[in-house]
Amino acid sequence: MKRFDLKKLKDLDAKKLAKDFWYGKPHGERRLGDLYIPKTGLYKHREWRGVKDTMYYFNNIWLYNYGHMVTDILKYSGGNPKGLVQFVKGTMRYRWMGQTYLTVMHWFDRCLEGMRDETLRATAWHFRGIVSACLYQIVEMFNRDITLGGDPEKWRKTIAHDETVWGGVFYGFPDVAHIPLQMIPYFVTCHCNNHTVLNYIDAAQALGLPGDPCPMCQAEAGIFLQDDVPDFFPALVTTNEACDGSVATSVIQDWMINKPLFAMPQPMQFDDDSVLENCAKEIEGAIKFTEEMTGVKFDWELLKKKLQDQNELQRNEWEKWDVAANTNSYPINGVGQALYRIFYSQYGDMDCWHETDAKVKKIMDKCVEQKINTFPMTRHRVIAWSCAPLYYSAWCTWAYNCWGLNTIINMDSLMFDMEIRTDSYENCLLDMAKYHEWAPMRRMAVGGLQHIFELWENMEKFNCDMVMMYDQIKCKGMQGVVGLFEDEFRARNIHAIWMPHALPDKRDVSRAEIRKIINDYMFTVMGEEPLDPSLLEFDDSNSW
Amino acid sequence: MKKKEKKQNKALKVLGKTVGALAVAYAGLFTVFYLDLDGKLLYYVVEPFMQKRFDNMERRDPMSMPYDQIDSEYMKRK
Ligand code: SF4
Repeated sequence: MKRFDLKKLKDLDAKKLAKDFWYGKPHGERRLGDLYIPKTGLYKHREWRGVKDTMYYFNNIWLYNYGHMVTDILKYSGGNPKGLVQFVKGTMRYRWMGQTYLTVMHWFDRCLEGMRDETLRATAWHFRGIVSACLYQIVEMFNRDITLGGDPEKWRKTIAHDETVWGGVFYGFPDVAHIPLQMIPYFVTCHCNNHTVLNYIDAAQALGLPGDPCPMCQAEAGIFLQDDVPDFFPALVTTNEACDGSVATSVIQDWMINKPLFAMPQPMQFDDDSVLENCAKEIEGAIKFTEEMTGVKFDWELLKKKLQDQNELQRNEWEKWDVAANTNSYPINGVGQALYRIFYSQYGDMDCWHETDAKVKKIMDKCVEQKINTFPMTRHRVIAWSCAPLYYSAWCTWAYNCWGLNTIINMDSLMFDMEIRTDSYENCLLDMAKYHEWAPMRRMAVGGLQHIFELWENMEKFNCDMVMMYDQIKCKGMQGVVGLFEDEFRARNIHAIWMPHALPDKRDVSRAEIRKIINDYMFTVMGEEPLDPSLLEFDDSNSW
Repeated sequence: MKKKEKKQNKALKVLGKTVGALAVAYAGLFTVFYLDLDGKLLYYVVEPFMQKRFDNMERRDPMSMPYDQIDSEYMKRK
């Protein structure tokens, strides 16, 4: 048993203690790593951020989001309590739901560790937007799932699509829901609780598929092989986005689902204008297919209206980028920025994005006006490039807390960087095609060297002095250009850390290994000391 | 007058009790939050239970699905 040390008690500085209680400990004294229970990623206790921020986290983030996880179900079910019943049924039926949904608040915890004041607030709003959009998709799936007693009329008015098919393709259909097949069961679960995805990867390999292709495509196929997809749709649209790896997913999906399928391929090398026209025709084909399958007529005016709304989101994004690039007052951390952007620009326009942007803009304007330094411990402004590790998207938060590495922008955020013209049907379709071609990973990972090397101009634009170079060890596209990057980094004298990972699969490169690689670089190459040494090494091998 | 006072006292008591109960609930929730009891419950109890449930769930055998099914037949069933 530990003996009570009277001397230690005498040494305590009451004034300092009171200050730490009221304001929270300053960055260098926090020792956030001491809060973890080994292996689990759970906290002995949650972080004390000072009275104001702890109470904000408790009331406005923890309670607020737990509460909204219930009220959103009712909201998206049109107030019908049957929505809650369907939701429970779905939770008990599908692994990606039952094992993952309730752990959402721990995803917030991991990504918001160490955040304070405006940064805590604005970043949390981004997460709230994502959760609301997720709940919309989940509720729509379960309310239509005919195997769970869902509504057959709603089922008929639904199009399912690959998560890499941009939702804007379906904007022109009133009362037709478009729901991605893998965005929630695969993509979101990897961030919230990366345990579930491993089942799907293993299922694909158990079929005899080799282990070395992209685990994203394997996991997406595995959901179908495990019979873990709700039956909420009469037909589906697939694509070869992000890269041709996903064609293999479509083949397995088609086999397992056996419903009418429209394949909407997009060219890998897309800079040629004649290719753009072809791509536009494919999108038109998907629109006609949706008309045929749902019996709902395409409405050009509605498409225009929704695209204009989406353009507004893009303008908001440019404003955020401007602040991030040219000031120290951008109030959103690396992971909050990346996931929000990728989610809304891929799924498409929803009210919740506009509501979130309005709230975040208010906070951002305040930061700019008052010249608040939102990440005061920044030592390096980092741009993260290539395909990111889904099971460790919170690395940005860790890297800031431990080393002062502040991730200003991610490659995936910079895709879809355009407004869409709505002045004529022809222009609109061409822009929709271009938008689709500029999808995550497609444009800057496998879209040709000129796009992959857009890194240099963005590094300058966002005033970054360091690159976190993701090295997805199973991405055949990016593996082919490692040497070219090495040469460029050397020639341009740029500090770049190669971060190996396997997208959703933490078994190939663990989070501890990722941290070790960053630590080694910071100690040996940069010659720097950590801001919080307790975060250098800890065991989170079994954490969500 | 007395009756009115009694009623007022009763109302105040109910109000006091409600506020007290809410304060206790709030403090309880804060304890759950601060000690990460929600995480511990989910990690040690809920997730293992769900995992077992999903591991033991009967699923169709993918290899038993014929590769060349015809979509129109599926549509007829609907
Ligand atoms: S990580 Fe690479 S292989 Fe996988 S989908 Fe993206 S571009 Fe394709």
